[in-house]
Amino acid sequence: MATYSREEEDEEIGQEDAWTVISSFFEEKGLARQQLDSFNEFIQHAMQEIVVDEMSSFELEPEQQHVPGEEGEGGEKKTYKISFKQIYLSKPMVTEADGMTSTLFPKEARLRNLTYSAPLYVDMEKTVTTVTLDSQKTEEVEKINKVFIGKVPIMLRSEYCSLHDHTDKELTELGECPYDEGGYFIINGSEKVLIAQEKMSSNHVYVFKKRQPSKYMWVAECRSSPESGARAASACVARMLHSPGTKMEPGCIRVTLPYIRTDIPLFVVFRALGFVADKDILEHIVYDFNDHDAMELLRPSIEEALPIQSKKVALDYIGKRGSAVGVSREKRIKYAQDILQKELLPHVGVDEECETRKAYYLGYIVHRLLLCALGRRNEDDRDHFGNKRMDLAGPLIAILFRQLFRKLTKDVRLYCQRCVDSGKEIQLTLAVKAKTITSGLKYSLATGNWGAQGAQDIRAGVSQVLNRLSFSSTLSHLRRLNSPIGREGKLAKPRQLHNSHWGMVCPAETPEGQACGLVKNLSLMALVSVGSPSSPVLEFLEEWTMENLEEISPSVISHATKIFVNGVWVGVHRDPADLVRTLRELRRKVDITTEVGIVHDIRLQELRLYTDYGRCIRPLFIVEDQRMKIKKRNIEMLQEKDITGFTWNDLVSSGCIEYVDTEEEETTMISMTIEDLVQARLLANNETSVQHMYTHCEIHPSMILGICGSIIPFPDHNQSPRNTYQSAMGKQAMGMYVTNFQLRMDTLAYVLFYPQKPLVTTRAMEHLHFRELPAGVNVVVGIMCYTGYNQEDSVIMNQSSIDRGLFRSIFYRSFKDEEKKQGSLTKEDLECPSPETTLGMRHGTYGKLDKDGLICPGTRVSGEDIIIGKTSPLPDDDPSAASNRFTKRDCSTGMKNSETGIIDQVLLTTNDQGLRFVKIRVRSCRTPQVGDKFSSRHGQKGTIGMTYTQEDMPFTCEGVVPDIIVNPHAIPSRMTIGQLVECLMGKVAAMMGKEGDATPFTPVTVENISDMLHQCGYQKRGNEVMYNGHTGRKLEAKIFLGPTYYQRLKHMVDDKIHSRGRGPVQILTRQPMEGRSRDGGLRFGEMERDCIISHGAAAFLKERLMDQSDAYRVHVCQTCGLIAVANLKNQTFECCKNPSERMKVVQVLLPYACKLLFQELMSMAVAPRLVT
Amino acid sequence: MAPTTEPKQRSPSIVVQELTHEKIRFALLHTDTSVANALRRVIIAEVPTLAIDLVDVIENTSCLCDEFIAHRLGLIPLLSEKAVEMEFPYDYAGDDESVTDVHFELNTGICASAETVDVTSNDLVCYDPRVAPVNYHPGESIKGKGGAMEFEAQAAARGPDDGPDIPGVVIVKLRRGQQINMRCVARKGVGRDHAKWQPVATATYRFEPEITINEELMATLTEEEKMAFVESSPTALFRYDEATRRVVVDAPDQARSYGYDGECLKKAEELGKPGLVDIRAKEDAFHFTVESTGALRPEEIVVNALKVLERKMEVTRGELDILEREQDEQVAM
Repeated sequence: MATYSREEEDEEIGQEDAWTVISSFFEEKGLARQQLDSFNEFIQHAMQEIVVDEMSSFELEPEQQHVPGEEGEGGEKKTYKISFKQIYLSKPMVTEADGMTSTLFPKEARLRNLTYSAPLYVDMEKTVTTVTLDSQKTEEVEKINKVFIGKVPIMLRSEYCSLHDHTDKELTELGECPYDEGGYFIINGSEKVLIAQEKMSSNHVYVFKKRQPSKYMWVAECRSSPESGARAASACVARMLHSPGTKMEPGCIRVTLPYIRTDIPLFVVFRALGFVADKDILEHIVYDFNDHDAMELLRPSIEEALPIQSKKVALDYIGKRGSAVGVSREKRIKYAQDILQKELLPHVGVDEECETRKAYYLGYIVHRLLLCALGRRNEDDRDHFGNKRMDLAGPLIAILFRQLFRKLTKDVRLYCQRCVDSGKEIQLTLAVKAKTITSGLKYSLATGNWGAQGAQDIRAGVSQVLNRLSFSSTLSHLRRLNSPIGREGKLAKPRQLHNSHWGMVCPAETPEGQACGLVKNLSLMALVSVGSPSSPVLEFLEEWTMENLEEISPSVISHATKIFVNGVWVGVHRDPADLVRTLRELRRKVDITTEVGIVHDIRLQELRLYTDYGRCIRPLFIVEDQRMKIKKRNIEMLQEKDITGFTWNDLVSSGCIEYVDTEEEETTMISMTIEDLVQARLLANNETSVQHMYTHCEIHPSMILGICGSIIPFPDHNQSPRNTYQSAMGKQAMGMYVTNFQLRMDTLAYVLFYPQKPLVTTRAMEHLHFRELPAGVNVVVGIMCYTGYNQEDSVIMNQSSIDRGLFRSIFYRSFKDEEKKQGSLTKEDLECPSPETTLGMRHGTYGKLDKDGLICPGTRVSGEDIIIGKTSPLPDDDPSAASNRFTKRDCSTGMKNSETGIIDQVLLTTNDQGLRFVKIRVRSCRTPQVGDKFSSRHGQKGTIGMTYTQEDMPFTCEGVVPDIIVNPHAIPSRMTIGQLVECLMGKVAAMMGKEGDATPFTPVTVENISDMLHQCGYQKRGNEVMYNGHTGRKLEAKIFLGPTYYQRLKHMVDDKIHSRGRGPVQILTRQPMEGRSRDGGLRFGEMERDCIISHGAAAFLKERLMDQSDAYRVHVCQTCGLIAVANLKNQTFECCKNPSERMKVVQVLLPYACKLLFQELMSMAVAPRLVT
Repeated sequence: MAPTTEPKQRSPSIVVQELTHEKIRFALLHTDTSVANALRRVIIAEVPTLAIDLVDVIENTSCLCDEFIAHRLGLIPLLSEKAVEMEFPYDYAGDDESVTDVHFELNTGICASAETVDVTSNDLVCYDPRVAPVNYHPGESIKGKGGAMEFEAQAAARGPDDGPDIPGVVIVKLRRGQQINMRCVARKGVGRDHAKWQPVATATYRFEPEITINEELMATLTEEEKMAFVESSPTALFRYDEATRRVVVDAPDQARSYGYDGECLKKAEELGKPGLVDIRAKEDAFHFTVESTGALRPEEIVVNALKVLERKMEVTRGELDILEREQDEQVAM
């Protein structure tokens, strides 16, 4: 009995069970988890840390002021100390113009263009220390609780959001879409995402080979920044020169120190750090003196530093090369010492006693350099994803918040100093300018310029408007990564897909063109570490007999393993295997946080531990003895989670699954499938064969894809660029972008009438809610040539299907206006402007406006109809306007002149300043027509070339008529086999009334699908005999016909169609305007001009470029060749100062731009003369 | 109908094979594809029916916009027996609205139910006793005002009673407090102008196959090969007769569903026996399937289509006569 239950317990899981695990992951985490985690971390820890940072509290003493008639020397001495303590953050609030405060919900913030932010309060403490003349000290502490210091924008669905912990039903009642994942901010009513910024990881030694003509052979660098992140990174670079004689031989090594102008010889730096003897120094670099090659490499460096043989001399040598010039030797030495202490490798420490550890670290840098120079190790890979860190919303806002808080304390300090100096009481509530933080954060989030206003190194485009075109585009936007490398950079390397991107970055989803490969998207199950303090890890290491660096003799190092924590070398250990095992066990038990990275590099004899933020991590099944730790029993508990309460987190804490970061991944052996593990076990019995010792197992390989990549069925059957194209196109597909679209006023929105969930799905789609919020329709597609109206990527569409509502969509456009204040007294008014009193009224119809200046819902509008009437008062002090009947100027808003629609909704409210604020939504119904764009899910886009009614379409003997006919020529060169398989599976799915599973990397084959189709009574490859709809004759070829999921893309002819005969011209040049929105002309460009020249059609060319553009007539004086003043009525012409004499004047036709040029030249005292 | 000068006079005929209240299957014999296809095209595109064409929105507080509901209303199939007596709105110049228009009203009143309520075609109030949505059961409307007018057309078209368990066509769903009030006008039209006027879901035909089995070759096949051969066709085409151990053509009615997929020919070639069977399409026999939307009875659709076709012929002949006369006059001159 006991053995039986034991066996059952140990049952292995299958692939289907892995999907249960995946479901529990998404149920727990959602798809914007990295954003939310990162922001929560900022609110809960980072913000408090910044506020209580020692740099923010300060002490003040009254400065001596010269007051006439008063004794200078005071009796007692007072010092004031002001410090910041506990912070408090409330829920998001809005303060109305009349001072009323209430809880703010995102819906209201979006509609009223408010900022979704929560007030931040801080406890402040003022300590006044009075030292009387008889040196008696009294201390007076005053606590001011909860001083308002600004408003912090709150990320939606984060822990401080008003929507946190609401059920789906409550969310719907609050006007929110329950499928929305949050992870963005609302700034002035617009949704903003913070794009994760990729950067190189700091505190990491990189060794690079330099190519000719560089001066150096090898460079080892380390960008060091301490854990608190309060300071900018400082770089320390060791470079190995070529030997002076032969270019091929290695020379001496020099080190670049911060603030020091020239590179310093390596041994000089060591001596300055207090290691004088060559042996001491070499011990720190080469660890093993029997390593003659390495020792030999250092010979030039030893020789170079021969003249400098003491610490003082070395420091002086460095000090001389510092920025301070012409100071005494003592000062120089002090300066050099300070630099070494504070600026060199600050992550190791900035205290005085860190010299030993710094020497060890510098030695390590050089050691790595030597390893490479000796060819024992390859140079580091700059593009390895393990060497990258992501700055997410949390750290990004923390950077900004730190800057702004510093500014705030600076202002407080200034104010207090003034108070103290003038002897006034310090009133802290007055000293704090809450606007600094409120508007500072708002500015950066609204514009995307990261960094305080006016500061240097501002990054642009960090905050972007959340894409709301389709639901998947929104999700994908929330998971975007950006590498801030110049887009122009020719270097292809950083753009390429790297091995280490596996499972972290989607291999398909990246834009084409300039940003290709620089903008990436997180894979479905990838998360980003939020960072945790390193102290628990350090304490543990201390307990587990790690030998501290200060305490060991350097000779030990060569046979011990070096331990690094966040890049800081903290000590060595002689039995690393045991230590690593315990560390892993602790992490699997969640005794130390699960996101800690444990990298045991056996070859380098290093153990690197990481607790920092910004590492990409992903979950994997843990494998021990070729068996997964997760068992059937865990799955059963997951499936009955309502009873057991067993969730993803329990899976992690029970040691079934762990998070592995990219760097740790390099030290693991991951089996791709569960099946591979079984194979490995079978092999284990067979002693002769080679077998893999797996440490982990992938949860499912299809999880390498991102949001948009997961929508593609059978992406593993497509040519890879096609998946990339579809990833880009899926973002332009119409569908249902949120469920609450009726309650929103987006500037642009497209909604499909009848969206359908796809017949052929992938497993990942379930978690993207693609079934609930689809963006496409299952249409019957025939791949055939028919009438010739589907050539070159155009398609034929069934007009009868269109009549029945196929791909019908609504287009919403919202207009916004508000009564702005002009000065303090006057403000604009929403009203219907009357032509009697209003200046500058437009051509459009004002008649559709009601008296209040707003249009009525249900009104049909088009062209330049006015939909919001608004006037601003004219200043009546203008003397010329006194007699004028006009008292107001028109500032109304009109429709876009090429659009028509029906007023859908009118919203009248007030903004945060209490001024009236209007939003108007116009709707228009779009039926597919010739020229509209459609695409399958395989990067196969096309426009409608022709629509045919049902009787004209080809039909099968069952009466099936295709909705779309695509040309077979679209297939072979593009190799989108996935589309064909989708179609085949779609046919089976439709016949069987089931969904087809098109998840990549599953054992489904075309043969399987074919057999099923055969059983359904169709030709197994999906071909059918069709009859020509016009003639009724049987078509020669059998047609590949079946349902395929098609998307309607947002590009529609009605938005693009444009022509012009005559129309508006530019004021300056009198040439036709540019662009459709201004009814502009079509450019006859240089290449068109070349073409006409080659035809020799000179007259035509002149007509295009002058007569049809900006022909102009001038009168030119033949005496001077300049333009004469002509009065055509009297036939008098003036030029050359002799109006009396009858002048010789000729008429010249030339482009107005030419005339303009002449006049501009004349204004520069150049006389262009026309010789006629 | 054909001119007497035609060398081969044909006498087309129709054999009805199956007739239900929504579907007709018949064979069109002794004619060629052009005629069969003309009939098919006319059935789909030129048999006039009624459909809602104009909607006046008085009140709409539902979740769908006016255009959306109007489009849905248009697609509801209406019993269109009356269509023959009516005029096309674009052909009719007179003032009598009743010749072109049929009025409907859709007024739900403010929805009071806590649950979402379906507004269906049963909620349409018809003012013409002969025109109503297909499967109309006014008793099933939201207001539930049972015992509305009896519809003779309804009774006639329904045939064997479908009963009220066939639900009406859902137009929109209403939540508490929402309301729809619209006035609709149905008009006569043809499927070519808009699919809502199509009387059929589909109308199609297939050629009758002529299947001959080369018994000699077939005898050379092993039992397994014979089975495999029978299996190779996705549709039931051949049958392996256990008793006689021979491959025979399945019931002729079944075989007629052959889609000319050529799978068994391919299989025969695979078995190394090309010419095992020969399948040819008969040039002059067409098996039609016409599925009605419910607007007209299927047999009515076919008859109406033939009438339309006949009228077209007459027009053509009239034109030809005029042409002939003109030519004669020219010759005379």
